[in-house]
Amino acid sequence: MRMREEEIEKLRGVVRDCLSKHLYSSAIFFADKVTAFTEDPADIYMQAQALFLGRHFRRAFHLLNASKIVLRDPRFRYLAAKCLEELKEWDQCLAMLGDANVDEHGNVLDNKDHSGMYLDKDCEDREINIVAATCFLRGKAYEALENRTQARLWYKAAIKADPLCYEALECLIESHMLTCDEESSLLSSLQFGPEDGWLPSFYACLIKKYDKENIIEARFKELERETFNSKSSDPSFIRTLKTNTDLLACKAEYYHQCGEYQKCFELTSVLLEKDPFHLKSTLVHLAAAMELGHSNELYLMACNLVKDYPQKALSWFAVGCYYYCIKKYDQSRRYFSKATTLDGTFAPAWIGYGNAYAAQEEGDQAMSAYRTGARLFPGCHLPTLYIGMEYMRTHSFKLAEQFFVQAKTICPSDPLVYNELGVVAYDMKEYNKAAWWFEKTLACIPSPLSEMWEPTVVNLAHSYRKLKMYREAIKYYEKALALSTRSLSTYAGLAYTCHLQDHFTAAITYYHKALWLKPDDQFCTEMLSLALMDECQNGMDPKVEVC
Amino acid sequence: MTSKDNCRYELRTAIRQLSDRCLYSASKWAAEQLVGIEQDPAKFTPSNTRFQRGSSSIRRRFHSNEGSSTPIAGISYVSTPVMEEDEVVDGDFYLLAKSYFDCREYKRAAHVLREQNGKKSVFLRLYALYLAGEKRKEEEVVELEGSLGKSDAVNQELVSLERELSTLRKNGMIDPFGLYLYGLVLKQKGSENLARTALVESVNSYPWNWSAWSELQSLCTTIDILNSLNLNNHWMKDFFLASAYQELRMHNESLVKYENLQGTFSFSNYIQAQIAKAQYSLREFDQVEAIFEELLRNDPYRVEDMDMYSNVLYAKECFSALSYLAHRVFMTDKYRPESCCIIGNYYSLKGQHEKSVVYFRRALKLNKNYLSAWTLMGHEFVEMKNIPAAIDAYRRAVDINSCDYRAWYGLGQAYEMMGMPFYALHYFKKSVFLQPNDSRLWIAMAQCYESEQLRMLEDAIKCYRRAANCNDREAIALHQLAKLHSELGQSEEAAFYYKKDLERMEAEEREGPNMVEALLFLATYYKAQKKFDEAEIYCTRLLDYTGPEKETAKNLLRGMRIAQSSFPSMDVELFPP
Repeated sequence: MRMREEEIEKLRGVVRDCLSKHLYSSAIFFADKVTAFTEDPADIYMQAQALFLGRHFRRAFHLLNASKIVLRDPRFRYLAAKCLEELKEWDQCLAMLGDANVDEHGNVLDNKDHSGMYLDKDCEDREINIVAATCFLRGKAYEALENRTQARLWYKAAIKADPLCYEALECLIESHMLTCDEESSLLSSLQFGPEDGWLPSFYACLIKKYDKENIIEARFKELERETFNSKSSDPSFIRTLKTNTDLLACKAEYYHQCGEYQKCFELTSVLLEKDPFHLKSTLVHLAAAMELGHSNELYLMACNLVKDYPQKALSWFAVGCYYYCIKKYDQSRRYFSKATTLDGTFAPAWIGYGNAYAAQEEGDQAMSAYRTGARLFPGCHLPTLYIGMEYMRTHSFKLAEQFFVQAKTICPSDPLVYNELGVVAYDMKEYNKAAWWFEKTLACIPSPLSEMWEPTVVNLAHSYRKLKMYREAIKYYEKALALSTRSLSTYAGLAYTCHLQDHFTAAITYYHKALWLKPDDQFCTEMLSLALMDECQNGMDPKVEVC
Repeated sequence: MTSKDNCRYELRTAIRQLSDRCLYSASKWAAEQLVGIEQDPAKFTPSNTRFQRGSSSIRRRFHSNEGSSTPIAGISYVSTPVMEEDEVVDGDFYLLAKSYFDCREYKRAAHVLREQNGKKSVFLRLYALYLAGEKRKEEEVVELEGSLGKSDAVNQELVSLERELSTLRKNGMIDPFGLYLYGLVLKQKGSENLARTALVESVNSYPWNWSAWSELQSLCTTIDILNSLNLNNHWMKDFFLASAYQELRMHNESLVKYENLQGTFSFSNYIQAQIAKAQYSLREFDQVEAIFEELLRNDPYRVEDMDMYSNVLYAKECFSALSYLAHRVFMTDKYRPESCCIIGNYYSLKGQHEKSVVYFRRALKLNKNYLSAWTLMGHEFVEMKNIPAAIDAYRRAVDINSCDYRAWYGLGQAYEMMGMPFYALHYFKKSVFLQPNDSRLWIAMAQCYESEQLRMLEDAIKCYRRAANCNDREAIALHQLAKLHSELGQSEEAAFYYKKDLERMEAEEREGPNMVEALLFLATYYKAQKKFDEAEIYCTRLLDYTGPEKETAKNLLRGMRIAQSSFPSMDVELFPP
């Protein structure tokens, strides 16, 4: 019996429909029959797709490999490589994708003709460039082989080949492969199609947000203005991306970074109500809840995540956060470590692991965790910064400074790095330099100051005191007191400044306030006794005498 | 003074608006003043008004008889227009929230109002959040109590409240009540200047919220700050000023204000209690007692301010009256901090210091910012010789209000007992700065200067001189002055003070070793000055005493006689060793 062409075409239609209805066994059955009738490469491809989707990777690979065309069409190669990816045969996967070179900017040095010979375009109007897909897969393979340099280059190549290849950008950003500058120069080198005008602004919101606040906010504003005008000209039908979850998650991330934890938490709570397991929102939500000390929230989140996504690093990270929040650092370390074993590229878990050690002042272990973090995430300056902080704890100021400078090269615009540089300078008794760094820090952060930056204000005041600029010192101490009235260091510094200026009564008052916060502080106790004697030696206060 | 009808009208409206916003104590205050306004004698027969003071039931009766009075515009005062409510916006959700609020379910009330935009609703939501935070804070304080109730608990809602309120203010959407809350939040965050500005704005646009005034008053720690406030001249300002003056220890100015206010609010128990407070600070205990006796007749279940009455009774050692008062408040409401404080005083007077501490502690459990309970508890600990605990208690007191001279004095005393005169001196200085006319404080300070470690006799003399100038009841200062001067070899000054001391002792008919000492010194001094007549008088007086002084006097007399008889041949043996 001979099948007519139109009957075969109908059968192809059945296969396509089965695939879209996820009836893979049926699809495989019918695709096999179509291929049997036609031997057409396009049908073989369809059968391979069906096998792939039905998770018969070895069969799909064999089918493709057996057909002679596999090396001739990039799509065949790509699908074959995808099968090998699923089978975790990374070297073979790379071999299948063929040799190609990429320069350090992610430009592919490969002049081979990639146009498919056998396959028509899919019915979709637009498709992702197959080169981009290939590059992305290469990147993944290299990442799996822990060749992160190559992986990064290929991811860059992928997004450059087709700006719509979002996955590549996501990988670059999530695993902190690029520094701030590299990220923005990559974005500016992308060539977007004329119809994707909104996309560059969206991507700009995804990357690191350490720039000045007005630049960041301009980015968000620009995107919020993007409108989609459907056919009707009724203005009420205009929808914007303003309420898009991805975008708002970026915003939440920004709030978190600015230390506006409450605002951040409120925003992520709304987002998670809309989309309960939006991964990025979840991560930011966890971080904010931890800063705010909402341990109950963390507990519930962690339980739900572990129940629904036991294989995700994020879930165990959440458990770690919970224990960190209730200050059970041993357990918290266990779960952070579990998260890193599930996904070695999950940066927050590495940092949390380090922080959990640091919280118990176990510097060596903390540093080794941070070092791993720094190695895995070259675009993230935090591990480097934390290593510097650990060195500060052991008073190795020179080493600490080196790490801070390194952190600054990775991320030149994070005010936290300036603050640490200032602290190092202060501890090395270079008070002018310290004051300069602290001033720079305060110039970089959005006003009005939040409580998060109170230590910097106090640091600046201490530096001025050391420089004998008492008036400025007192001004900044008072500024710090406006932010928080619970800091021993502020009161002690203020008291000492007054004492140095022979304002004994004021000094005594502030020593008392400091001792009220920490009754056994040795410096303040001793200085208080001295101040009391000085005050007494000064004889009676003229003010008391006249009144 | 603005017309009484006008005040009445304003207060009536305000009471409704304040209780709509669940500002309970402000509305209670306003209602008390409303009832405290004197009736117009033209409207009522004199026989009625005569009873007004004595019997509150009569007063209440003819208040309800009174019809609606038409408001008359104020004369010398700025008339602030009564606020209009926009009833339309605050709907059923507001009513539900208000009911929750009344049942103290703050978070629930706030949740109900989360999307309401009426001004009343917005305020109630924010206020509910604030109180929810406060409630949680109080609970936390109890849960994680440090030494003497010290804890780091903070109101968790403050940050978000501040943000929202400042945004509202920036957008000009804030009403006077919101400003009051904003001031409250800012004050708690420690931004006192901003808090003052917000509160001034609040009271200028809505003067009838007494809570806002009291918050403002607590932020006026010096007279300069008070004078720098830019306040509208509403009649409520007089209440504020009177109270502020009192806190700034300008008791006479405060009394003048209150007496003026009594012209309108003649039956206000509040004003009476405040006057009593001022008199108490002026140490006019008899007057205070009279006022409180009357207050209790009019308002027998009053607990507020009664702790002060108990202090007066304590100072006057009126056992029975204090016992009666203690039992009375105990029956009225034993779990009010004031009640506990009164009972504490009662036990203290009976010398049962442990029991007394128990009650002060209870008072502080109920209100940990209860200033006088901390101070009084400190006194009890001193009595029990538990100095570290006393110091802690006094410190809490000065931390709550650094103008409490009793606590500073207590601290000084405690440190003196611990043998740390430098510390003691500092605290005495603080207390004397606040209460410069109290001889006890000056004497305490002088004793510090005299101590072994300091030996700054010149300064001690200065202090004693101040003490002598301000009504030194125990007459320590004169004697000490004389003694110090003689120690420093300044016999002329010493003689001056011994003489003064002697005069005083004579006037008060006191005898004792000081008398002997003074007589002996003066006798010797005048003899050395060759004023033998005076010397003889003092010597003769000394002869009335027994002991070695009598012999010395005899010797002196003998010496003088010899000297007088053989005047030209003066010799050294006249001076006994």
